[in-house]
Amino acid sequence: MTAAVDQETGEVLTRPERPLAARNWRIGIAVLLIVGVMWSFSGLDAGLRDVVEAPREGWKIVKEMWPPAFKTVYHRGAVGKIFESLYVAWIGTMIGAILSFPLSFLAATNIAPTALRVPIRQVFNAIRSVPELIVAMVLITVLGLGPWAGALAIGLHSIGTLGKLSTEVIETSDEGPLEAISAAGGTWVSRMRWGMVPQVLPTVIGYWLFRFEINVRASAVLGLIGAGGIGGELVSQLNFRNFPEVGAVLLMVIAMVLVIDTISGFARRRIIAGSGRKIDDDETGRTVNLIGDLGGSGLTR
Amino acid sequence: MSDAVAPVAVRPRKPRPQLHTYLLVIALAAFTVFAGRQIGFRWSSFIDIWSNPFWGRFWPVPWGWVLDRHNVLDALVETFQIAIISTTIGCTLALPIGFAMSKLTTPNTPTFWLSRTVMSIVRAIPDLLWGKLLVTAIGIGAFAGAWALTIFSLAVMVKLFSETVDAADERPLEAARAAGGRHTPAVRTAVLPEVFPAFVAYALYVFELNIRASLVLGLVGAGGIGRVVETQRATFNFDRLMGILIIMFVIVMSIEQVSVAVRKRLV
Amino acid sequence: MIIFDDVSVTYRGGVRALKNVSLTIDDGELVVVVGLSGAGKSTLLRALNGLVVATSGSIKVDGIEVVGANAKTMREVRSHIGMIFQTFNLVNRTTVINNVLMGRLAKVPAWKSTLGLWSADDREHAFRAMERVGIVDKAYVRASNLSGGQQQRVGIARALAQEPSIMLADEPVAALDPVTTHQVMGDLQRINRELGITTLINLHFLDLARHYGRRLIGLRGGELVFDGDISQVDDDTFRDIYGRAITPDDLLTDA
Ligand SMILES: Nc1ncnc2c1ncn2[C@@H]1O[C@H](COP(=O)(O)OP(=O)(O)O)[C@@H](O)[C@H]1O
Ligand SMILES: [Mg+2]
Repeated sequence: MTAAVDQETGEVLTRPERPLAARNWRIGIAVLLIVGVMWSFSGLDAGLRDVVEAPREGWKIVKEMWPPAFKTVYHRGAVGKIFESLYVAWIGTMIGAILSFPLSFLAATNIAPTALRVPIRQVFNAIRSVPELIVAMVLITVLGLGPWAGALAIGLHSIGTLGKLSTEVIETSDEGPLEAISAAGGTWVSRMRWGMVPQVLPTVIGYWLFRFEINVRASAVLGLIGAGGIGGELVSQLNFRNFPEVGAVLLMVIAMVLVIDTISGFARRRIIAGSGRKIDDDETGRTVNLIGDLGGSGLTR
Repeated sequence: MSDAVAPVAVRPRKPRPQLHTYLLVIALAAFTVFAGRQIGFRWSSFIDIWSNPFWGRFWPVPWGWVLDRHNVLDALVETFQIAIISTTIGCTLALPIGFAMSKLTTPNTPTFWLSRTVMSIVRAIPDLLWGKLLVTAIGIGAFAGAWALTIFSLAVMVKLFSETVDAADERPLEAARAAGGRHTPAVRTAVLPEVFPAFVAYALYVFELNIRASLVLGLVGAGGIGRVVETQRATFNFDRLMGILIIMFVIVMSIEQVSVAVRKRLV
Repeated sequence: MIIFDDVSVTYRGGVRALKNVSLTIDDGELVVVVGLSGAGKSTLLRALNGLVVATSGSIKVDGIEVVGANAKTMREVRSHIGMIFQTFNLVNRTTVINNVLMGRLAKVPAWKSTLGLWSADDREHAFRAMERVGIVDKAYVRASNLSGGQQQRVGIARALAQEPSIMLADEPVAALDPVTTHQVMGDLQRINRELGITTLINLHFLDLARHYGRRLIGLRGGELVFDGDISQVDDDTFRDIYGRAITPDDLLTDA
């Protein structure tokens, strides 16, 4: 406590000491961040002038993209490529969903024995940490160039992310219905079929849809390494610096992503609402988005 | 009570799933088959990728090469530099924009819609495309990568953050307004303390995403560890690639552990 | 001085929450407002500081017109009016002093408060306010770690830090237990007496109204149905205001 004296009454007032720990932490972290950014900047081979210059260069290119050359890219089959990206994302999601769902039962604490659970979880983690693009570049050497390698790559990667998420859904499910089925003499299979699956399916399908939205974005870049879709067109136009064509393709990609996001978001809300559970848009939106891309840190609950 | 005395028991009919549910499932199945045809789906591939010569290329990992500092470590440092810069700047910018994107804290609708629209367009472009676009605009190198991931971080962060602000308690904000506070200080004093722990948690998450993303950013010439990935894949050195992937796996898992620990302390 | 002149409030959706209310409140008065839930008590208080916009009529606070005032005038008026809420409306994740400092928002430039740069003078005002309600020792405790009664005192301190000439309390004790209720009501009464702050308190419990009030205002269905000295009030008056007989639920203590 420190003392202050009231000027009018001469009364001695006590004031609690301001705790400095929190403030020191804050200052420490701020200093650390600033030093970190400065060190990082020194490694980028760029001066402060470049920082100002870069947006200007970027803006120049954006201006060159106008008006977008839809006609040219249309004749080069860009619309077909957009759909190809969509197919790649869809098939990839399907592969991921179908393979991850049974596996996630075998990875759940409340179902599988440790000996089975732990390795499967590690497989999920390992798969998750390899980006689709790298899976694709490896698969191409066996399957050849083309969208199928891309779809399979997305599918394999999705097993990891969807597997992790579905496992968590299964683990946080309500035991009550399962116990009731056991009490009625139900077998393991009927416990899963009638107790577990109906409980978790709406949420899990929500995750599938969300993964589909992410995979649509992923499939749009697979063309970069020849794994199909619109990405290849975009890259070659960029390499030739045909900016009006780039603008057209970019707008098509944006349109595709936004349309899919809208449809899928609508479907997600419908499914959650229809499941009768009290999860509002908040939870579909938030929890799912949290884990967001590339599958998550523990932010999934 | 005997069975004989219930002649007029009414039994509700089992409700059938509605017709359009069936139609939807059939349509989706048909679409799946069609899409599979279009992209050359082959069952045999699931067997092909287990073939021995294929996996033999990944093993053993040449640790001597991987751990030599010129081969991997330098690029790894660059990855961290890119991630630190982009996370810090992207997330800092996301703070005001995130508030602008939430109904709770945005006083006028034009700001709200403009920020939302721009940000959903930014988010529609995948990180790697941002990388490619920026490399084209400002040249090959880590600098372009840092720009790309800054934009990406911003786009991810504003989405997560604005949703958290949406769900924040509006009553303290009303108290601040009732005390005659202006908009910005009111938001700062009444809303920010409530959402800041979540903001920090997201920032750590974004950092992790950025580290992951840099594994592929090098493919388009945007620097970082992806640069090494690109040269090794071009020469089919999958064993070296495997070494890099293992290192990245360890790094990402460690960051994940740290952010889980930090998050526990914050909430 | 507060003057309501023929004030009506119609919410979006068509609910008429106040109907042609006229009343005058002199400086330093302590007024208790009673009425059933939905009678328009909150609306009356909120119209006064502009949190709810009056649809018609005129509300003057110390000569300044509130109805239709621009943002700047509104902030100026609000800076002299402290408000206390039923649900406290504290920022839970920060310290008590940071909550109380929110009462200084109208007094400091926006950039300073945005950066959290409170002057020693502002902090001292905050401490004085906390002293009035006996929570100085909790200054650096997180608001969420306090009991309900302590939290409401933080709410009062926040209002006091504004150095207000008017205090509005919207069912300040509805979320508290009987003992803390009397402490908080006592605080409000003392502040009214010692600092001469004009005080309007919405109350649900009739015995509390009778015990702490001097002037009583009764609302029913948005209309002013009673306005008089508390000494004239008896059970029949309450029956008029409530439109029904008094039940034990209307009293804090069953007597
Ligand atoms: N924001 C609002 N929008 C629409 N109607 C409201 C709103 N706030 C209050 N009302 C309605 O106005 C009437 C008066 O409400 P209120 O002033 O809160 O009453 P009290 O505080 O006496 O319980 C009620 O019928 C209530 O439903
Ligand atoms: Mg009320």
